[in-house]
Amino acid sequence: MTKPQPTVRRDGRSDAFFDAAARGELAIRRCADCAAWHAPETTGCHVCGGASLEWTAASGDAVLITWAKVHPRGDGPAQHIAFVELAEGPWLHAALDGVDSPAAGLALKAAFVGPEDGEPLLVFRTA
Amino acid sequence: MGAAIAGLGMTEMGKVYGRSARRLAADAVRLAAADAGLALDDLDGLLISHGMGGSPGIELADVLGLRDLRLLTVMNAFGATAGAMIATAAMAVASGSASAVACVFADAPLRPKVSSGAAYDSTPREFRGYGGMTAAQGFRSVNALYALAAQRHMAVYGTTSEQLGAVAVSTREWATRNPLAQMREPITLADHQASRWVVEPLHLLDCCLVSNGAVAVIVTGADRAADLAQPPVHVLGWGQGHPGNRYERGSDFGLTTGATLSGPAALKMAGLTVGDVQMCQLYDCYTITTLLTLEDYGFCAKGEGGEFVASGALGPGGALPTNTGGGQLSGYYMWGMTPVSEAIIQARGQAGERQVARNEVILVSGNGGILDHHSTLILSPAQAATTGR
Repeated sequence: MTKPQPTVRRDGRSDAFFDAAARGELAIRRCADCAAWHAPETTGCHVCGGASLEWTAASGDAVLITWAKVHPRGDGPAQHIAFVELAEGPWLHAALDGVDSPAAGLALKAAFVGPEDGEPLLVFRTA
Repeated sequence: MGAAIAGLGMTEMGKVYGRSARRLAADAVRLAAADAGLALDDLDGLLISHGMGGSPGIELADVLGLRDLRLLTVMNAFGATAGAMIATAAMAVASGSASAVACVFADAPLRPKVSSGAAYDSTPREFRGYGGMTAAQGFRSVNALYALAAQRHMAVYGTTSEQLGAVAVSTREWATRNPLAQMREPITLADHQASRWVVEPLHLLDCCLVSNGAVAVIVTGADRAADLAQPPVHVLGWGQGHPGNRYERGSDFGLTTGATLSGPAALKMAGLTVGDVQMCQLYDCYTITTLLTLEDYGFCAKGEGGEFVASGALGPGGALPTNTGGGQLSGYYMWGMTPVSEAIIQARGQAGERQVARNEVILVSGNGGILDHHSTLILSPAQAATTGR
């Protein structure tokens, strides 16, 4: 990543995500009742109706679904954002890092970049 | 009893400063009542839709001095609200629970010397939590999410930026004929391609305007409408579709919308099929929205929307005149009231140099969220439309 990283602080609701990120792990949500996987911001299981979701380490393997390029208003590099599909099934709102030729189905791997200040940032790189 | 739209009120729209959304809404209701030849005292229902600013609410009834209303509420299905309000008003009239219902949308997001983009921007000073992390990385605007939708349609079906540009060009061509439109200079495909990226693959000319203003309509029984000041515009059918997009394996995000549910329901109620539709007024927050909506209603096969919109069908003289007032892309951004208002003007035969001769079956769409919510209306100058296209 070539541009200055934004600073992200904890909000008390997703701290487990950042604890795992500090260990280099991608934590997402998994239903305690039926084991269905869900994205980190999910609050209930739409498969079984369960309300108990646990933070669980995912593989970090993903494929690219769709992408867009955010051009800054001023100077600085453009940034690819994307929806990626995790091997476990959920889609994540994702930033791509160093993916110059995005294509649907491209194999990706989760990684974290650690700014000097604030929490680590999830990015996806070509697998 | 069938329902009809008897009045239309539109304030000045665009960079209109100095009036709150509440004041604009009140002005639009007054204009709509006067247009119908009704007094405000004749209204016994008021349905209200606001923009992201959250105003006006039901206090609008007091602002207008309305008394003894039998129907009063705020409705919100985002961009699908206008169609939903008119359907609700039609049902109220049919049941006898109200007899003359004003439906109004108002918004005033623009401020002097602040860009249109900033009006809907939501960049916080600090990014907090998981959601803050994605926002920090670029998920900050509706533009970004519609760009992801457009790119998916491109990747799956081969849709091109030039095909999206064809929507922008044909819509602008209509706008040049509409004195109410904010953008009336003709544009070419080259202009579209040269316009700056908002979020790639969406150029500036793929994106709608931002407008201050308000639009109101009055819904009454068809028999009463026939005796009022304007030619009645009959509400022949309506529908909604809220597919409940899930962001997970198998999602058709960017590929289909709630129009697949809403369109057939509205047409069936009207006793018509998609082949009977003579004109479309579609919610066009982005060029991709027009293309997707046309596919989902069945005007062309899924995935062939790009070819269809580039065929010339949508523009003046085309087989399916669409967004004949310039839509939200070039006309004015009054959310779902943009397509509703142009449909009324066309159905009445009051569209001047842009009037479409075949105006008996007009399909109107609403789209909200990120292709999450959809509404459809079938409007006609005839109480029972039976014509084929």
